[in-house]
Amino acid sequence: MTGMIRSWPLALTAAVIAVLVILPLLLPNFWIANILGRSIAYGIIALSLTFLATYGGFVSLAQTMIAGVAGYTIAILAPTAIPAGAGWSYGLAIPFAILMATLAGLIVGAIAVRTRGIYLLMITLALAVGFSLFVQSNVELFNGYEGIRNVVGPDVFGMPFRTPLVFYYVSLATAVLLYLGVMYLVRTPFGLVLQALRDNSRRAAALGYNTALHRIAAFGAAGFIAGCGGVLTCFYNIGISPGSVGMGATVNILIMSVIGGLGHPIGAFIGALIFTLIDTFAASIYDRDRFNTLIGLLFLVIVLASPDGVLGIGKKLAGLFRRKERSAEAAPVSPAQASPAQSEH
Amino acid sequence: MTSPTVSGTQAPALSLKGVGRRFGALQAVRDVTFDVAQGERRAILGPNGAGKTTLFNTICGDFPPTSGSILLFGEDISALKAYQRARLGIGRTYQSSLLFDGLSVIDNLYLAIRGARPGRFSMVKPGRDNPELARARELAEMVRLGHVQDRLVTELSYGQRRQLEVGMAMGLSPRLLMLDEPAAGLSPIERPELSRLLRELPRSLTVVLIEHDMDIALPMADRVTVMKDGAVVVENTPDNIQTDPMVHEIYLGHRRQGHA
Ligand SMILES: Nc1ncnc2c1ncn2[C@@H]1O[C@H](COP(=O)(O)OP(=O)(O)O)[C@@H](O)[C@H]1O
Ligand SMILES: [Mg+2]
Repeated sequence: MTGMIRSWPLALTAAVIAVLVILPLLLPNFWIANILGRSIAYGIIALSLTFLATYGGFVSLAQTMIAGVAGYTIAILAPTAIPAGAGWSYGLAIPFAILMATLAGLIVGAIAVRTRGIYLLMITLALAVGFSLFVQSNVELFNGYEGIRNVVGPDVFGMPFRTPLVFYYVSLATAVLLYLGVMYLVRTPFGLVLQALRDNSRRAAALGYNTALHRIAAFGAAGFIAGCGGVLTCFYNIGISPGSVGMGATVNILIMSVIGGLGHPIGAFIGALIFTLIDTFAASIYDRDRFNTLIGLLFLVIVLASPDGVLGIGKKLAGLFRRKERSAEAAPVSPAQASPAQSEH
Repeated sequence: MTSPTVSGTQAPALSLKGVGRRFGALQAVRDVTFDVAQGERRAILGPNGAGKTTLFNTICGDFPPTSGSILLFGEDISALKAYQRARLGIGRTYQSSLLFDGLSVIDNLYLAIRGARPGRFSMVKPGRDNPELARARELAEMVRLGHVQDRLVTELSYGQRRQLEVGMAMGLSPRLLMLDEPAAGLSPIERPELSRLLRELPRSLTVVLIEHDMDIALPMADRVTVMKDGAVVVENTPDNIQTDPMVHEIYLGHRRQGHA
């Protein structure tokens, strides 16, 4: 996780955004909604995982569940839902759903506050499984195994949300805002403290930081991101059922993040796109099992070959080309710096 | 700013009363009692395993003492957490550097400066003319890292990391500075640089220093405490310590062994 790409150049970011804005005008609807739009919406949920992993060093398996909290909230409140729920307007229901996801993030953060590494993984997985079983067994509120249907989303400029271009552009705008927000946040005191916790939480405490509170707040911020993704994927699926928050869905988000790379937030979207492409084409050409085999193999190869995912592979290649230049540059070293690094004992 | 209640201005900066720390069967620190006056420079000597670092850890709140109490400028801080003690003005360095490796030198120092100040959860990026950033740049100069302030900590040499350690402890504008073997592992070329840096520390600052190198420790110290097997053996002035046969026996004797 230390292999961070430090300066993703601004020009490149702008160029990618420009391409993403123009691209749908050249593509059929299926690609706009079911490949790109879907990748972006799920990529947002993956972003919440990648954000915590890259900057906090926390790998949380509860992010799909937190997205599900937003999904279920919006489904219960939506005016169009079947079976009918509270019947709020989308204008109220959407912010409330994201607020609930943020709260869920804070709660997960508080529950997991003392754990790291494999234990954090286990406790967040346990919470995810618990939530999935809870919604499955509760018929009154969540309509049990069937879930809630016909959550179509609000009209945007008089067009239904499910219009491919509307869904795509709203998802893209949300993703860009969240991505830029993350890139900004990590340069603020809050974001720097998060990275301090990742690198050395004992030192952070010795400097006066209440490390537990900072961790919880970081999970809250990730909950907000996951909540935005949860609302979008709920509209994409026109509803939500226990499958959306089950083990499979949880693992899928983890796979996206890991394939893309946990070294930089953009990895979440790259991973989501690769995942969606394989999912769509492997599953349509062959059968479901073929997809699982393929994605499983890819996951294995990436974890073994490059812990930083596709981004890491790209960085390694770039590094190979750059090494020559740098060794030429680094030649004149002042004698004061030239002393060899020593280990303490 | 946190301004703790000080009971009388002449309260010692640090007061240890029967402080002990046990790890299972091991009594790493036993019944340590001494005061460090305001503005005093205290060196702590003792062989490896004497419990010096453990004593630091109990003072700074990494873990609570298993017995006794710790007073900072007259206020009992024994039950406070590490971050609360830091906010009361304890700055420390570590025997083996604990830095934020994925961040730049300037970000490390910036975090050190902000730790004891309000706005720790601020989600607003500091501007170029931010006073705390300016202070971080000053601090980088002070610990002679101005020329590498934008480098990641992982790109620093070992000596530079040790200098940053001191900078981090100074960042929170401590009232009590605790240095745990700041020169540990430095080469003979790097040593004088750090020694000079320590001599430049403001004279008003109370400093507790653990240091094996007598050439660094004794010229700096007003008083010296020698520890062995978790307990204080002698406390005296540097001159008397140098001629104390018992100190030679336990400390220098060990040192000769250790460096043989
Ligand atoms: N966290 C810990 N858990 C268990 N034992 C410890 C811990 N920290 C230190 N010790 C033990 O306490 C004793 C004193 O260690 P330390 O304080 O590091 O000595 P010094 O700094 O004087 O060399 C040693 O025997 C060490 O192994
Ligand atoms: Mg020690």
